[in-house]
Amino acid sequence: MSSEPGSREDNLSEQLQRLLKSIEASGRSVLPGSNDALLKSIVETAAKIFGAGAASILLVNEEEEALEFRVTTREADQELVGTRFPYDQGIAGYVFMTGLPIATSNVKEDRRFNEDFAKSTGYMPRSILAAPLTSADDQIIGVMEVLDKIDATSFDIHDMDLMGMFAQQASMAIDQSQQIEKIEQALVEGLKRLIKEDGVAQSPELLSTLDESLKDESTTTDLLELADVFNQISALGPAERKACLQILNTFAEFRKSTSVPRRFR
Amino acid sequence: MSEETLRPAWSQHFTADAIQELLAQGPFAKLTPEWAWGGSTGKGIRVAVVDSGVEYDHPALGDCVKGGVIVEYDSKAKDNFRIKPDEMPADVSGHGTACAGIIHSIAPEAEIYSVRVLGRNMGGRAIQFAAGLDWAIENDMHVVNMSLSTSLEEFFGLFHDLADQAYFKNINLVSAVNNLPEPSYPSLFSSVISVAAHEGHDPFTYYYNPNPPVEFGAPGIDVEVAWNRKQYLTCTGNSFAAPHITGITALIRSKHPELTPFQVKSVLLACASNTRRAGK
Repeated sequence: MSSEPGSREDNLSEQLQRLLKSIEASGRSVLPGSNDALLKSIVETAAKIFGAGAASILLVNEEEEALEFRVTTREADQELVGTRFPYDQGIAGYVFMTGLPIATSNVKEDRRFNEDFAKSTGYMPRSILAAPLTSADDQIIGVMEVLDKIDATSFDIHDMDLMGMFAQQASMAIDQSQQIEKIEQALVEGLKRLIKEDGVAQSPELLSTLDESLKDESTTTDLLELADVFNQISALGPAERKACLQILNTFAEFRKSTSVPRRFR
Repeated sequence: MSEETLRPAWSQHFTADAIQELLAQGPFAKLTPEWAWGGSTGKGIRVAVVDSGVEYDHPALGDCVKGGVIVEYDSKAKDNFRIKPDEMPADVSGHGTACAGIIHSIAPEAEIYSVRVLGRNMGGRAIQFAAGLDWAIENDMHVVNMSLSTSLEEFFGLFHDLADQAYFKNINLVSAVNNLPEPSYPSLFSSVISVAAHEGHDPFTYYYNPNPPVEFGAPGIDVEVAWNRKQYLTCTGNSFAAPHITGITALIRSKHPELTPFQVKSVLLACASNTRRAGK
């Protein structure tokens, strides 16, 4: 890396180019946390811990107002990955709506269980234990299910307790991974802008790679605006930066004290 | 993680080998289940079920459901919620109907009101829950069943205020503890009757835990419950333990309308299945 004075911008453009090349080389991911691999490891661990025949995860797809079947340990069900179910359907739908875990046995008699779906896979579980996956701000981001307790007819209260803890851990990992994806998108978008504005690296291939990485711009707009503001602030002197930080801290404190009413009247 | 944080959730206090025998002495030794709720039907007691709604015409409920409301999340409304009347309540999932069915089986003449706070909304569950509890407090309920809780720290103050309001208005709040040994509101407030599941099936067998915060254990494992669309099914969870205590509380309040929430809790402790009466 060069340390000559006055070459800061050159340095930046060099670094940018290197970073963008690495994005190109890797296909898309610049940050760790590939969601699919994470989900797969979670269900595999869950099936082992709970002594279950299978485990699966459905995640919320807000645009479609549906729960999307994202991963399962059962080889025979792999083709179902990507299938979407309405919010109010099946056991997963129940857990999504109530935010409460549930253990049921005799699943055939439980009409919340989406029987057509199960029949289509030729697999009817005897017992199900399902729990919500919840983000740090209490939004339900999905549902985890373990199916068919191997050594017993049903999952018991201890399984349920354990599931509560396990789902909490899984939720944190999934939530973080989803946040990282958003940040990654914002980062890529920021780089794209820099290229356009600087005219440093006018590579059409690079731009199209970045375009592909960013199918949904709306999710990143807010983050980008914030990033822009931080960028501007960082260019100011230390006194201004300190003042900005104080304002932000005051705002954060204000939000804490006002976001939830202490009383209704 | 330490062993303390890895312990199983609250129901651990109610496994067969964990239940401790307690001793009722002095005047408390004279309190018996027969005195507390013998012959009572829950008549004259209004019970709110704050949940996913109650299917008013489910055969397991007779005609005990007398009305209700739906609390909806609305980011534009004051305090982010809005309340609609629900004269012939429905249940979006079955969970509330299950709780109402258990309460009705124990206190057949208690009136049940459906306060629907759960649904297919994407956000605001905690504020809906708080608003539903507020409605129950403001609408002269005697007992409120809450088989749900929130662990959101910022709701501590609001739920604490609501729990106090209920307490000073002589309303018993009964809440299921969640499945994690972590703070959950309002179930772990001292004025609330908190309930976890034990493994038995007799509806009147319940235990007191001398090591709170969770205080009572009631049946909650493989319980046959009413469900929406006139169904029945077998479920497990602390959710189904709480309505057992709600039902018994309704019986006590009906037979002894002079009792306050803290007296009711004392009666529940004195009549718990693991309490031995001095001299007996």
